[in-house]
Amino acid sequence: MKDEEKEERLVSLLAARRSEAFWAAQRARITAGALQKSGPARAWLLAPAAAAAALLIVLLAKPRLPVPAPETVVSTAFLEHLDLLDDMDVLEAVSEEEL
Amino acid sequence: MTRTEKPAESPAGQEEDVLNRLVAEHQRQVYSLALRLTGNAAAADDITQETFISAWRHLKGFRGESSLKTWLLRIAANKVRSYWRWKKLRSWVGLGTRDEDGEGAALEDLLPDDPAGRPEQAALAADLERRVQKAINLLPTRQREVAVLRAQGLALAEIGAALGMAEGTVKAHWFEARRKLEVSLGEYL
Repeated sequence: MKDEEKEERLVSLLAARRSEAFWAAQRARITAGALQKSGPARAWLLAPAAAAAALLIVLLAKPRLPVPAPETVVSTAFLEHLDLLDDMDVLEAVSEEEL
Repeated sequence: MTRTEKPAESPAGQEEDVLNRLVAEHQRQVYSLALRLTGNAAAADDITQETFISAWRHLKGFRGESSLKTWLLRIAANKVRSYWRWKKLRSWVGLGTRDEDGEGAALEDLLPDDPAGRPEQAALAADLERRVQKAINLLPTRQREVAVLRAQGLALAEIGAALGMAEGTVKAHWFEARRKLEVSLGEYL
């Protein structure tokens, strides 16, 4: 068997083989998910109110606020940045020239 | 879809059609990449969905300077890396890993579309699936990434750009990965 044919055969082996029903169902799920009003869009509508509420809470709670344990601070920061990780997957995939 | 083409701007009513075509054209490659790099059918399905949803939300920022397929596969590869980071983190904080969940494909997903000889074909497909995945799992991470991207039809230079490697390094990884895969899967070649 020629080298190119062997490579072609190997490459075809690595492809995932699924039924048409599987691809159609997956397509439907993706389309439904992508066309839904996205989380960030809804969050954007609520952002001004949320920011004002957060500021108010911080101002009211500040004098009595105990110092959080370091591990709580780290966990909170991690959770707050989880959403950014999702965007990072896209941003990392865009070359500098494209940005 | 050609190399630099991107879906045309469309009225809201046609959005679903555009998205459907985009997904139909690339879902097999994105899913294959996710499946081969995670070895987990459920995770691959999630990563495929997340890849298209993220890409759809950021599509206006895509200038079409590189291939849409390459862009999608890079997003998927990054999501796979996030998946492994997340698994390591879960393991590190003692939440454990649920490796067995979704590891294999459901039998009905492997059933051929042609009803004739279904049980035999499904069994053969399941066996092939296991052997291929086992062979890929034996490769070191970099060789695995290169081999899986190569299997989606990416040129060596495109793989290098996606993984941040020199083309020569990609070539060396592909050469070595191919040699090992040919040994593992020789009977199918």
